[in-house]
Amino acid sequence: MASNVSLWGTLTTPLIRQNPVTLQILGICSALAVTTSLDTALTMSISLTVVVVLAAGIISAIRRHIPNTIRIIVQIIIVASLVIVIDQVLQAYFYGLSQRLSVFVSLIATNCIVLGRTESFARTNPPLPSMVDALGSGLGYGLVLMLVGACRELFGSGKLLGYQVLPLADQGGWFTPLSLMLLAPSAFFLLGALVWTMRSIWPEQADEPDFAPHEIEEER
Amino acid sequence: MTRGIWDRETVALLLLAAAMPLAVTWLLATGMQGALRLVFVLIAAGLWHLAFMLARAQPPSFAGALTAFAVAVLAPAELGLLPMLIGISFGVVAGELAFGGWGRNVVNPATVAIAFLGFGFPAAPWPVLPIQLGWAAIAMAAIGMLVGVMAWRIAVSATAVLVIAWYGGMLAMPFLTAAAVVLVLLVCDPVTSAATDLGRWLNGLLYAALVMVFASGWQGAAAVQVAISAALLTSLAAPLLDEIAMRRWLARRKHLG
Repeated sequence: MASNVSLWGTLTTPLIRQNPVTLQILGICSALAVTTSLDTALTMSISLTVVVVLAAGIISAIRRHIPNTIRIIVQIIIVASLVIVIDQVLQAYFYGLSQRLSVFVSLIATNCIVLGRTESFARTNPPLPSMVDALGSGLGYGLVLMLVGACRELFGSGKLLGYQVLPLADQGGWFTPLSLMLLAPSAFFLLGALVWTMRSIWPEQADEPDFAPHEIEEER
Repeated sequence: MTRGIWDRETVALLLLAAAMPLAVTWLLATGMQGALRLVFVLIAAGLWHLAFMLARAQPPSFAGALTAFAVAVLAPAELGLLPMLIGISFGVVAGELAFGGWGRNVVNPATVAIAFLGFGFPAAPWPVLPIQLGWAAIAMAAIGMLVGVMAWRIAVSATAVLVIAWYGGMLAMPFLTAAAVVLVLLVCDPVTSAATDLGRWLNGLLYAALVMVFASGWQGAAAVQVAISAALLTSLAAPLLDEIAMRRWLARRKHLG
């Protein structure tokens, strides 16, 4: 079970094949809110990855001592403590960035991916596989966030990580920024297009249709 | 759905035929510039219909031409080719073709494309519709209702409210023109408007009410912008209006036993 191959598989499966955002549609709220620029998306991905890995490690280490009836409370306390630490670190060293991320770092405590991994995996597995699994989920989340964040920053303001990549029309260049990209709906569109693309490439990711459209018999 | 000569394309062609007075008036008013814009939008929409036919075996529809015409008339002016292409692609693909083609879409692709361009490029000026387009819209509504591809309940209820508001001085003439053109081109679209009798009355009333609210309360909004926003919200509310009509009918049936 604990061979290198399965660890590698645990790490890479959530990147594309079982991506928490595009396949399981988890963590959408923060994915929409913090992707207006690449640096906030990057910070958010790192914060979430750190939280989910540490939480998985701690919960997995004490998994035999958590009473089953209050396990959710215990998990949330551990996750929330880690989130507070991350939030304080961000406020201490990256104050401007933490102001732009506003409440969403604190909201990692309620992120479905964190609780989902601790509840479904870390609670029943040893620390090392749990942390690798959590790292994979965090990276899968980060991958989607970066993609959406890069698209939105590039087309919304012509920048990437704050550097002007596409010359703006009002500064003598050719690129007219698409202001819609900086508004929340565009994240929905991009995420929808991403899910659509992924499910076209890997059809096994697509859900079963709820019902088949029936064909109406032609009346002659 | 097919019944006799009536299939999807008959409806689309009759809608196109009804739009001819509006198209001719608009081309006379805008000249070469308008014609080029229309050709560009037609090609862009047509290519997407072609792409979906090849990729998904989805039959293309003449309704795509109506969509293209509506976008050419109503989209913000002075946009470059690339923004225009992004807008029309988004509207046609995400508004119509992704759902399975004309007849299965939830919102009108032209409304989506124009709203997308309006929100995406807020600096671009909205077109000012020449006043004769309002008269041409009446002709289009008349043909559409006569051949039965436009719901007269929507047109009558919306027009009644709008004309009364204009007569009472609550609606300026540019707003009335824009509201009339958007009403016939987008709101009366048989796919995305309400489909029940009561729902259609409510659909027209809701559209007119939204136009009046936006025209009076939205500072600095252009006439076309007001009408498009009202059309977008109305088409989103159309299923709700149908649901209200059906609930009311069911409740009355139960009451009768």
